Parts: sequence; C-alpha cells; structure tokens
Amino acid sequence: MVLAAYILLIAIVSLLTTRATPEIWGYYLVEDGGSFPITHWENVIGRSKSADLNIPLVTVSNNQAILSRYDDDHWLLKDLESENGTFVNGQQLDSDKRYLIEPGDEIVMGGVYSTVTPPSVEESMNNEVMRRMDKEPVAPWKILLAITIFQAMTVVQLVLGMGEKITAGAVASFIVLAVVMWAYVTFFKSMGRKGFEMEMIAFFMSTINLAVTTSFDPSSTFKELVALLLGVALMIFMCVYLRDLERTKKVRPILIGLSVMALLINLIFGRAEFGATNWISIGSLQMQPSEIVKLAFVAIGAGTLEELYDKRNTVMYALFSLYCLACLALMNDFGTALIFFGTYLVVSFLRSGDFSRMILTAVAAGAMGLMVLKFKSHVAERFASWGHVWDPEIMDAGGYQQTRTMSMGAGGGLLGLGAGNGSLKGVVASNTDLVFGFVMEEWGLIIAVLLVMCIITLSLFAVMSIVAGRSTFYTICACGAATIFLIQTMLNVFGSIDLFPLTGVTFPFVSTGGTSMLSSWAMLAYFKASDMRRDASLAVRRGEG
Amino acid sequence: MRKQERRALICLLLAFVLFAGTGVFTYRYFKDGAKWAGFYGNTQIFTDGSINRGTVTDRHDELLLHCSPDGLEYSDDWTTRVSTIHAVGDLNGNISSGAINMFASQLIGYDIVNGTYDTSANGKTIQLTIDAEANRTAYNALNGRTGAVGVYNWQTGEIVCMVSTPSFDPYEGVSEDNEESIYFNNFLSGAMTPGSTFKLVTAASVIDNLADRDEFSFECDGVNQYGDSDTEFRCVYEHGEVDFREALAVSCNGAFGKLSRELGGKALKKTTDQVGLSKSLEFDGIETAAGSFKFPTDDDVRLSWAGIGQAQDLVNPCAMMVYMGAIANGGEAIEPTLIKSTSFIDEIRGAKTIGRYLDESTAAELKDMMKNNVVENYGEENFPGMDIYAKSGSAETGGDDSDAWFVGFTNDEEAPYAFVVWIKEGGAGASDAAPVAGQVIQSLQNSNYYE
Ligand SMILES: [Zn+2]
Repeated sequence: MVLAAYILLIAIVSLLTTRATPEIWGYYLVEDGGSFPITHWENVIGRSKSADLNIPLVTVSNNQAILSRYDDDHWLLKDLESENGTFVNGQQLDSDKRYLIEPGDEIVMGGVYSTVTPPSVEESMNNEVMRRMDKEPVAPWKILLAITIFQAMTVVQLVLGMGEKITAGAVASFIVLAVVMWAYVTFFKSMGRKGFEMEMIAFFMSTINLAVTTSFDPSSTFKELVALLLGVALMIFMCVYLRDLERTKKVRPILIGLSVMALLINLIFGRAEFGATNWISIGSLQMQPSEIVKLAFVAIGAGTLEELYDKRNTVMYALFSLYCLACLALMNDFGTALIFFGTYLVVSFLRSGDFSRMILTAVAAGAMGLMVLKFKSHVAERFASWGHVWDPEIMDAGGYQQTRTMSMGAGGGLLGLGAGNGSLKGVVASNTDLVFGFVMEEWGLIIAVLLVMCIITLSLFAVMSIVAGRSTFYTICACGAATIFLIQTMLNVFGSIDLFPLTGVTFPFVSTGGTSMLSSWAMLAYFKASDMRRDASLAVRRGEG
Repeated sequence: MRKQERRALICLLLAFVLFAGTGVFTYRYFKDGAKWAGFYGNTQIFTDGSINRGTVTDRHDELLLHCSPDGLEYSDDWTTRVSTIHAVGDLNGNISSGAINMFASQLIGYDIVNGTYDTSANGKTIQLTIDAEANRTAYNALNGRTGAVGVYNWQTGEIVCMVSTPSFDPYEGVSEDNEESIYFNNFLSGAMTPGSTFKLVTAASVIDNLADRDEFSFECDGVNQYGDSDTEFRCVYEHGEVDFREALAVSCNGAFGKLSRELGGKALKKTTDQVGLSKSLEFDGIETAAGSFKFPTDDDVRLSWAGIGQAQDLVNPCAMMVYMGAIANGGEAIEPTLIKSTSFIDEIRGAKTIGRYLDESTAAELKDMMKNNVVENYGEENFPGMDIYAKSGSAETGGDDSDAWFVGFTNDEEAPYAFVVWIKEGGAGASDAAPVAGQVIQSLQNSNYYE
C-alpha cells in the first residue's frame, strides 16, 4: 500500500515538475519589426493573434503561410492561399507547393520584407546550457526497486489468498514482468535515455492487471503477459517509427486501409459478447479489432500543421471517423462508439481552422444522429437504471453489476482485503468492465483511486509536454491518446459505480484482456513521442530533441 | 502551432471531469460505504443471502444470535427467541428494524479503513441494550394478546425492553395469514389511539396555558352531555365535582373535554408537537412511525374528543415512552438507543438529548400529578419497591374491548425507567396493562440494580 503510493507519487511528481525548455530553431527577421525566435518545427505566419509568427499588418492574411523546419539550415515555406500572395526572391509561391528556403532568402508578404536565419553557434550553445539546467527526470532505480518489491509482495499475497488455486504459470508471469521491466530500463538507460516515469506507471498498472487476472483466473495470466510483452514491443517499434514524420505520414493511408478492413472483418465474422459484436476469433486466438483500430484512429486524426490547412486531409479524416462510428454502431458497441466519438470531437477541435470547421461539424452532427438512431433503445434501457441502482426493483436487475461493484468494493475499505481474496470475481465481467470495484475490493479504495490518478497524470503530462512540441502531428497524437485514455477510464469507472450508465469498456492497462493490454501499451508511444525532455523520449532521436 | 497548443487544454477539462467524478465517488464512499458493504449482494459476508459473521447479545452478554457461513443460530430458549426477534431481526429482512438489518455493517466488523477485512471471519459482537429477561417477562405477561411493551432508561436512553406481539419463532415456519402482523413491530412502527394517556398532553398544555387552572372545577354526572346535540363524554362512573388535579387522577372525560375547549385547537396542537408525538423519531438509523392528530378550531365536539385521546388521534408507543422520559427528566427528552455503547468516548459524552419537551416547572407539576394518579387510583401497593408515576388509558377503537394503556416512569437513581404498555383490546388500562408494566419493571430492577 505505502509502497504503491510511493511509486506513484514519485512518478507523478517527477512527470509534472520536470519540463522542457522550448528550443530555438532559428530566427524570423521582419523588416522594421525585429526578430522572432522560432520555437516550433511548424509555424503559422499571419496577422491573426494566434499565429506563431505574428505580423500585424492589414496587407497580410490571417493565416498567410506555414514555415516548417526541413533540416538545421533549411526551412520549407507554403503559402496558405493568402490574399496578396507570398513571394520568395521575387517569385510568387504556388499555394499547392512547398518551397525550400535558404537562410537569407528574401520573403515578401503583403509588402513586408522578412527572412529566416539559423541560430548563431553561440545561441545554440546557450540553448544547450539552458536545457541542461532543466530539472532532470528522476533516476529510475528507486522506483524500479519499489515496483519489484511491490510485485514480489503481490505474488506472496496471491499465494496466501488463493492457496492451491494459483498456478506456476501465473507466478512465472510476474517474474517475467519484473525481468522485462529491468531489462527495458537497463537497456535504454545504457543508450543514454532518461525519463522512464510513464513506463514505470504503465508497469505498475500492469502489475495490478496481472494480479486481477490471476485472482479471476490464474490460467489466463500467462496469455495476458504475452499480450503485455507484445504491447511493449509495439510501443518501442512505434516510438522509433514516429521519429520520422515524413515516414509516419506516408504510412497513414495504409493504416486507414487496414483499419477499414479490420472493422469490416469484425462486422462479418464478429462474435457477440454481452450484446456487442466486437470479438473475432482467429483459430484459438480471440481479439477485439476495435482496440487496435483505436491506435490507428489517433495517428490518422493527427496531422502536421500543413495538413490541417489541407481540405483533402480533413475530408479524409472526417470520412474515416464516420466509417468507424458506423461500423461500431452496427456492432452494437456503444461504449467504444462513445470513445471514438469523444476522441473525434477533441481531435476535430484541435484541427479545426477556418474552413475545416464546417466539414468537421457537419460530420459530428451526422455521427451524433447516427448514434442516437442506433443506440436509442439500448441507451434508454441503460439510462433507466442509471442513478437508481439501489432502488429495490433495480438492484438485482438492471443495477446488478453496479450494486455488486459498490458493495464488494466498499467491503475492501481503504486498504483492501488482499490480492486473491475478493468476492466480486463471482460477478460477470468483474475483471474488465467492473475492474474498478475489483481493485477496490482486493487492493482498497486508495489504490483504485491512484490508478485513476495515473491516467490523469499521463494526460496532464501530454498536455504539458506539447508546449515545447515540434509538430502539431505529435501534439494531436498525444492529445488524442490522452482523450482515449480519459474517456475510457471515465466510462469504465463511472459506469461501474453508477455515476454514468454502464457501457462496458475497459480500464486502460488495468482491465483483463489481451487486445486491451496491447493497445494500452502501444498508445503510450504517442505520449512518448510528445515527451520533449532531453533524451527522455524514445520517439525523439538522441541529441535532437 | 500556438492555436493547437491552446486548444489542447481541452484535455485538461476531460481530466478534471474524471478527477471530479472520482471525488464524488470517494465522498459517497465515505458517506454510504458501510451501507454498501452491508448489502446482501456482498458475497464476501453473505452466504446464500444470509449474513455469515457476527454475534448479537443482550446487555448481559446473553447470546441472542450468532451468524456463521452455516447459517443463523438464535438463542436455545423459545421464549427468548420469540420475545427478542423484533430487536434481533430475521434472516429474510422482513423485520426491517432488526439489528441484523440495521446494524449489518457493525456486525460484519466494517470500518472505513479496513472494510470488512477480518482474518478470523468471525465478525464483531453487537451488544444490544435490551435485557433478555425483561423481554421474556414482558412476553409472558402479554400472555398471547396483541401488544407492545417498551422500557428505556430515561437518563442514558438505553432501551432495556422492547417486545411486540404477535411474534414468531425464527426456527419455525410462518403461516402466511398472519405474516404481516408478526413482522410488524408495534412499538416502533405502530400508531394507535392513545385514549386517556393523551390527557398527559392536554394536562401539560393546561399547565402551560391556563394560569387560573387552580380555580378550575367541573361537575361530572357520569354522562356529561354537551351542547344541544346528544354528544356525551361518558365517564366510568359519576365523579362529582373535580378540580384539575383530581380530573387527571380519576381520568374524567367530561372535565378534560371542557379543558380542551378552554385551551383551543391551536394550543393543543402546539403542545402535541412540542412533546414530539406528531413526528417520527430517528435513532440508530431506525425511524419510528409518526403520530397523527387533528385539533379542529371550529368544531368543539371533535376538539373535545381529540383532547381526551379519541377521535382521530394516533400515537406511536415509542414516542409516548420518550415523552414519559422527558417528564421524568425535568422536561428534557433523551434519545433512545438499542446499541450498548462500547467506546469510552460515548460513555463520557453520555446520552444524546433530543431537546426540551417541557419547561422544568411544567414537568415538575405533571410529575406530581402522575404520582397522585398512582396514590389515588392505581394503588402504590401494586408496585412494591417502585417509585412509580403513571397514567392509564382505555382507548375506544370500535373493537370488542378497549385497548389498554399504561404509561409512566420510575424515579429511581439506580433504575430510572420510562415505560409504555399497550394491549390491543386488553380492557382497562389500570387493571389490565398496569400489571404488565409492574412485572417488567420488577424484573428489570432485579437484574439491573447492582450492575
Ligand atoms: Zn368524570
């Protein structure tokens, strides 16, 4: 208990207190207007107050052009169909194309002369010093040791609580988890990486997940572990892949294709469980395609600043979202549909510029209509018992799961009855949809609430880190992923304790379920990609970020 | 970029909603956690819907109920089971105010920090304030009649006797035709016509409102016709000329009818509300039935009937008992309780007061008159060794016989008991209900004098 609180506290404090100093990538010099430091990889130049490089002249359009970083010396300039056009060295820019800018090139917008210069060597040095002075992320060893002790204690509790029912495979799973955790940190530490708080939080939550899984059914623990390891591997792969923005952009059409296929296959071969047809079986392997599509959904929704001003990209995203929602509606998966819809709204809000707003709003309205039509009766049913689960005629009917969650959850007190000692496992879906109550009973309210705080911390961090973000692509990725985590946790926790109708979605990292575990870990890559602390992110090349 | 950065703050909003919701739940957990944990759906502590841990005893540690995964184990003695079942409660929760239902969270040893964590899985022991011996005595004294007996210590608030009949043996099956009545606790949940016991309320109102009550006199002819109608406020016999004090002692309906008219509906209503008879009491999570009264201001006849505890008057026995306690305690009413306090702090803090029912002087005068009732009418020799103050009642309810009431208290440092006895169609209060009260108090004095 104390140990868990310690682990989380250190990780949370470290994540929230260390922050990155924005780097200066160059200077933008304006005739009679002085020089602006360029702190992002992507910048809007324009008259609008929200423009990154603001030129307050009526001859300049609100969003005149986008200046994005190409390499240390070169920049790309793209005109945003500005009224008076943009000229480089006397030549007007075609708004369909991007132009390579050399330092010192003469840029004219609305009659104003400007140019881009690289930071001087001296300034680069200063910049470096500044970043060195940033508070370093805490060394991972203490937390690592604490989590390992926590894992050992968990195994002891499980053995004591479950006696002969526990299997060797389950115990081995914990050991493998501990070993993988140490190997992960040691390996990346030796490569000079720092900042493992997010992974530590995820490893901690995964430990609880294995404990819940074991308590529910020890024979499935090993399967859960395999999914977890696949998730870690996928996360590392994605981090490396996400480093190269151009490469990432190119893979997106493939992602769209795959997602469309996956949902289609789900629709055709799907198997129903608890009313929603969101499972498919491949041989003996069972998975939820929508969990994986969620991952792609984030990347597809994200875009570089340039893309956000590109109508085609916006239309593509809107259509894809609509398709996903339609599929989920057909699958009867109200919970996941809500997650997608919520994420769509947040991402749209981030994306929406002057003209994309129209398209995005229209699709949102359409999607809303679709959801209402499809889920009307279903929702009415769930909403009927919502807030009334303790009514005598509901507590054993529509409120059965919620009343059991709260009742046995409360039985755990603040400190819990101990891993393996719970009784909620006798209730259907207790290790997935009702996992909050499961954790309350076996681990106590404090840890259950701390798990929620973990998710909140991750999302707060995502928001804080984008201040020094390079591309809107990473910003939107991080916010999209944070939104998914937050909405999922909300639906899961609030649903099981009657603050919201029960929708049957998983708690990231905590709920039992291979696909859910895998996608939770992979989702972490989006957070890592936005982590701009020096050497903290796998998704940023060393020294570059 | 800047625009997107600023908009990313929307995630903070979502995070806040999640945080706030968790906060709301945590608040509910602290407020209702005990109730949730004691819910029968909690299979940790309920086996086949029956609580599986915990023990209930009486004030002298006599076992009343032991819960284990094998089922419920009541007392070995039939009379004990039957006389305490309304206090202890039954398996199916038919007796909603029974300890097993009301105090489930204490029984299972729930606390906010450890939940139901209990290595021995034996649960906790709840010591009730009732005296099993007194309950048996009361049950036997009721002798098969429908009724209610309640006694509490008017200094500490501890309910030492609570019996409601008809009752049942939890070990035996229950026939369906009397299911309703046997589960019903007349003492806590009943509301019945108070008859002449209500004169103690009218009398309190007279003391408070009629300064010239010493000059009051009434000529009782036994029939006491009133007005031009054929309304009669009959008495059991012709009382002749009575003053206020005498009117209470002989329970003269004619005199109290007249007093009620002099008081008026408003004053009577005010006093009734003030002494807590018109609202329900709440203690240990139990809510008693509220009494109900109508004191018309434009109908002298019905007002007179109301003033002598007839007409539409309905009183709850427990509330009546607390009122008796308040008279004994100088006007201050003490909240009843069914659980013996185990914490040292509770002992020091002492009894919880509900508030002042009567002025000290009013209580004193009433107390004096109640002593006079016993001396003049019921006979002190019928209550040997007891310093008793009381009022009887025989309520007409249209049944074969009147309902017998006997309410009052003992003024004894060692055994300060306020009591209420109600026997449905039991006859006259003084002759039929009073002996029940006497026997129960006697029993309580025997077992509790030197505790
Ligand atoms: Zn008379």
